[in-house]
Amino acid sequence: MLLDLDGITVAFGGLIAVGDVTFAMAEGDVLGLVGPNGAGKTTLFNAVSGLVRPTRGQARFLGRDLVAMPIHARARAGIGRTFQVPQPMHELTVRENLMVASRFATGRIDRERIAEILDLLKLGHKADADAATSLALTEQKALEVGKALATNPKLLMLDEVLAGLETAGKRAFMHTLAEVRQRYGLGLLIIEHDIETITRLCPRVVVLNFGRLIAEGSPDHVFNDPEVIRSYTGGEAA
Amino acid sequence: MIDLVAQSLFSGVLSGAYYALIALGLALVFGTMRVINLAHGELVLLGAYISYTAEEKLGLDPLASLPLALTLVVATAMAVYYLISLIKTDRELNSLILTFGIGVILTNAVLMIWSADIHSTTTPWYHDATILFDTLFAMQAELVFAALGIVLVGAVWWWLEKSWYGRALRAVASNRDAAKLMGVNPQLTEVLSFAVSGLLATVAGVAIYTAKVIQPSLGHHLTVKAFIITVLAGMGSVPGVLLGAVLLGVVESLTVTLASSALQELAGMVLFLVVLLLMPSGLFGRAKRRG
Ligand SMILES: Nc1ncnc2c1ncn2[C@@H]1O[C@H](COP(=O)(O)OP(=O)(O)O)[C@@H](O)[C@H]1O
Ligand SMILES: [Mg+2]
Repeated sequence: MLLDLDGITVAFGGLIAVGDVTFAMAEGDVLGLVGPNGAGKTTLFNAVSGLVRPTRGQARFLGRDLVAMPIHARARAGIGRTFQVPQPMHELTVRENLMVASRFATGRIDRERIAEILDLLKLGHKADADAATSLALTEQKALEVGKALATNPKLLMLDEVLAGLETAGKRAFMHTLAEVRQRYGLGLLIIEHDIETITRLCPRVVVLNFGRLIAEGSPDHVFNDPEVIRSYTGGEAA
Repeated sequence: MIDLVAQSLFSGVLSGAYYALIALGLALVFGTMRVINLAHGELVLLGAYISYTAEEKLGLDPLASLPLALTLVVATAMAVYYLISLIKTDRELNSLILTFGIGVILTNAVLMIWSADIHSTTTPWYHDATILFDTLFAMQAELVFAALGIVLVGAVWWWLEKSWYGRALRAVASNRDAAKLMGVNPQLTEVLSFAVSGLLATVAGVAIYTAKVIQPSLGHHLTVKAFIITVLAGMGSVPGVLLGAVLLGVVESLTVTLASSALQELAGMVLFLVVLLLMPSGLFGRAKRRG
């Protein structure tokens, strides 16, 4: 298994942000993670990438126990993620961002791969620009994906990378993602609100509501589930 | 009068070079750890006293004592790092108390080992006067260490800009979590920043020992100066630190020449407050900067 989550629970004081979530992904799987705002999607990403420590539960990545692994070691093991709000580095150029990721996550600078990533994400013309100050929002989001790709991940977790894009921009980015997946053969875990996007990208979906996994399956199956529909229309999950 | 002002400007610039070494070390550690090392001035002082003992007991020229001083000061810096790394909660705040305490302990250790007497190098060459452009006076020690200081600041700048570990340091300073997700081990960058900060502190200490006089209570004043410069520079820009250091040196030196040496420390404080009120992100800082 690529990623194997068993009963992951994250509590912030009395708030159960993620409650007893169990699912698994095989290598190369594409899985959608959906649910209303505040459902715990980002927190689950944080638990997998190491930014928060689960209160309970087991997480394994390619058979290795994740819970006690520091963040940089997870990056080196092959977990890459983006942030919902882009986190560019001050004073590093776009290319330097990718080079640092490549150098420290893989132990060597893979210039060929970096050039390829810049090209795929259409960041080539901004390669030597300051990452924090000279990128438009779409380019910042592309750089988030690029930084993660430069670490040579086996699992790429995307946190609402398509949110805020125009329909045309969304289409283009989805196309890019398909290319990325094909080229690097990595597993994708995708948080996304837009049902159409998820349906196009992901053969399988898990739905969170109030931290709980309430449905799992094909998009068709899941988005016709009455409990999922209720959670999306703002009603309490029964 | 013009000559006097020109002379004090020149002396201020020369002091600025070793002030920059001290401030850069403080800024590096702050950048990677968000810790203000209040014992930083004592590390400088330790370097100065080791150089004194090496000269006094072993007959070593202060410059030749650098390897010994470097070893001991960097080792002490590592010990300070280790103690800070033991703090598990609220590191930014708790480290203030811890490093303040370490500073007090080091000051008292210096007092016990070396007594309260003031010292300066006894190698005459360092105090020999050089006259530049017919009017400007400097001691050899000031010129040597101003040059060394500028070279070292340049080297650290290059290292931060162009080396992999330098870039990793900047990445951690800019966004700690995002840097970790790029595979950077934050502890490694913290250790590096402490080691480099100890190295710079040592050179500054030997500079002070040869060009000025040393006494046990000096460390605290040096920490304050370094802090003022770092805030002037707007946290984390190397050229900014150098310019801030020269500015502080010049302001202090002009105050001593035109008013009174009793006001020297106050002048720096006034400069600090004026900049903080008028330009809160520093003289060279960016308006938009995290943390
Ligand atoms: N660090 C934190 N401390 C306290 N509460 C948090 C923290 N992070 C997230 N939460 C809470 O956890 C819940 C889930 O948040 P999040 O995972 O961001 O949801 P989603 O990404 O699905 O919109 C929310 O109620 C949020 O306020
Ligand atoms: Mg979220």
